[in-house]
Amino acid sequence: MLPSVSSQSTERRSERSPVIEVLGVTRVFAGATGEVTALHDVDVTISEGEFVSFVGPSGCGKSTLLNIIAGLLAPSSGSVLLHGQEVREPSRKVGFMFQAPVLLPWRTVERNVLLPAEVFGGDKLASTEKARAAIDLVGLAEFTRSFPHQLSGGMQQRVALARVLAYEPELVLMDEPFGSLDEFTREAMNLELFRVTDAARMTVAFVTHNIGEAVFLSDRVVVMTPRPGEVAGVIDVGLERPRDISVMHDRAFSDLVFEVRDILGGKR
Amino acid sequence: MNRTRERVGKAELVTSRPPGRRSGPWRYRLGSFALLIVLLALWEVLPRVGVVAEIILPPFSEVAVALWTLVQTDFFLEHFTVTLSEIGIGFALGTVIGFVAGVLLAISTVVNRVTYPFVVAFQAVPKIVFAPLFIAWFGFGQTSKVVMAIVISFFPVLINTKVGLENVPEESIRLMRSLRATRFQVFRKVSLPHALPIIFAGVQTALTFAVIGALVGEFVGAASGMGYLLNLYNFQLRIDRVFAVIVILAAVGAFGYFILEWIGRKLIFWRADEI
Repeated sequence: MLPSVSSQSTERRSERSPVIEVLGVTRVFAGATGEVTALHDVDVTISEGEFVSFVGPSGCGKSTLLNIIAGLLAPSSGSVLLHGQEVREPSRKVGFMFQAPVLLPWRTVERNVLLPAEVFGGDKLASTEKARAAIDLVGLAEFTRSFPHQLSGGMQQRVALARVLAYEPELVLMDEPFGSLDEFTREAMNLELFRVTDAARMTVAFVTHNIGEAVFLSDRVVVMTPRPGEVAGVIDVGLERPRDISVMHDRAFSDLVFEVRDILGGKR
Repeated sequence: MNRTRERVGKAELVTSRPPGRRSGPWRYRLGSFALLIVLLALWEVLPRVGVVAEIILPPFSEVAVALWTLVQTDFFLEHFTVTLSEIGIGFALGTVIGFVAGVLLAISTVVNRVTYPFVVAFQAVPKIVFAPLFIAWFGFGQTSKVVMAIVISFFPVLINTKVGLENVPEESIRLMRSLRATRFQVFRKVSLPHALPIIFAGVQTALTFAVIGALVGEFVGAASGMGYLLNLYNFQLRIDRVFAVIVILAAVGAFGYFILEWIGRKLIFWRADEI
């Protein structure tokens, strides 16, 4: 069920059962010039209803970590637990949103959103209803029957968001989903994403290299540094919910941004 | 979602021309038509004024008359349907064989590794060398021509199917993997539709190849068909009729090609501009 928009207090993100536990994960890639350690001994826990961002420069292994959490990539050592069970392959309880919208161009918006439900099988009528609700939620109700090539980049990414929302995964992984959008569209999409995830109390792991975006959206920001990819620090974002764009002008917001910058700078 | 946001959403719509329509403005069509008139006029005038001998290139009007009388003869329809059915059957079977083989090569590493060298070696051989052999094996009838058409036309479908299925965007595959889709679901819902434009281009080539195959077969040895007529009139030096046969064959090829293009545009509507 997709809940209606309502405001929550900050306490809702208090200690709940962990959805994902990353335990001492290391990942080594065989490169042309020898082995490259993309991730070194990473420990992170994401609890139910929590929005956690992973922020850091290119090469800090944040996307690698997300792929490992998704079960698309195996860790070299360490393990990832999803609800206490070790992740060995992709799970249908986990939704993945990529940097590109990855829409199928021959399918309408609605049929794109229905793709996961089709793959899973099951009640068509119920999944169509959920798909419509998700499309509504991301503000594309008028474009149900449009094809991707008729939509702008921002709208395409909203379709991708609706596709994840529609099948209600317990955890959503987002790999720089708005990285290819222009600054204005990106800001609008962040507001939209905040509204949607806040309303649905979604558990999200969000990868970005934009510090402001990370602070604005998250309950916690995991700061990562490269060579090898490591967790350099974790920051609790205590900002009030719901948030709107004016939060970015608060002193507390800029303090948090500087805090992240300090941690990133300390490594260099 | 409030009113203003909705309006922004609408403005975001890319207002491109509707998909599936790509014929240029009427000016281009008029240009093509004018060019046709000029070419036909040259065809008429050059032999008449003696720039080229009429035995080499009969004037257009004579060819037109020859075409008209040829079409009305009682034997024409038989020869025409013989060749047409050879082309049709050869093209259909060649396409199916090429598609199935291309899919097998694309989805099975083992099949690909083991058989691909043979496929490439086979393609390197000019198929025309098989024509006399096929006559010896399958006789002077239609079978040898159909086989020739298949042998020439299956390859573009095979190679395009293989290449198309192997070049599906990695991200789409990753999406399906994250959904734990079965291999068949990935193939059916993502790979095949993605490859369809390339496969279809191969099918279009296959049609022209099938025409060549059928005619080459008929040249080498046949008792009927358009290739047989062409040979016959050539020996009799009835060049006007030779041209009449050529015009008919060109029309058949072009008609088939445009039919396929039309089907392709309906089928692959999402990238009608790129086929």
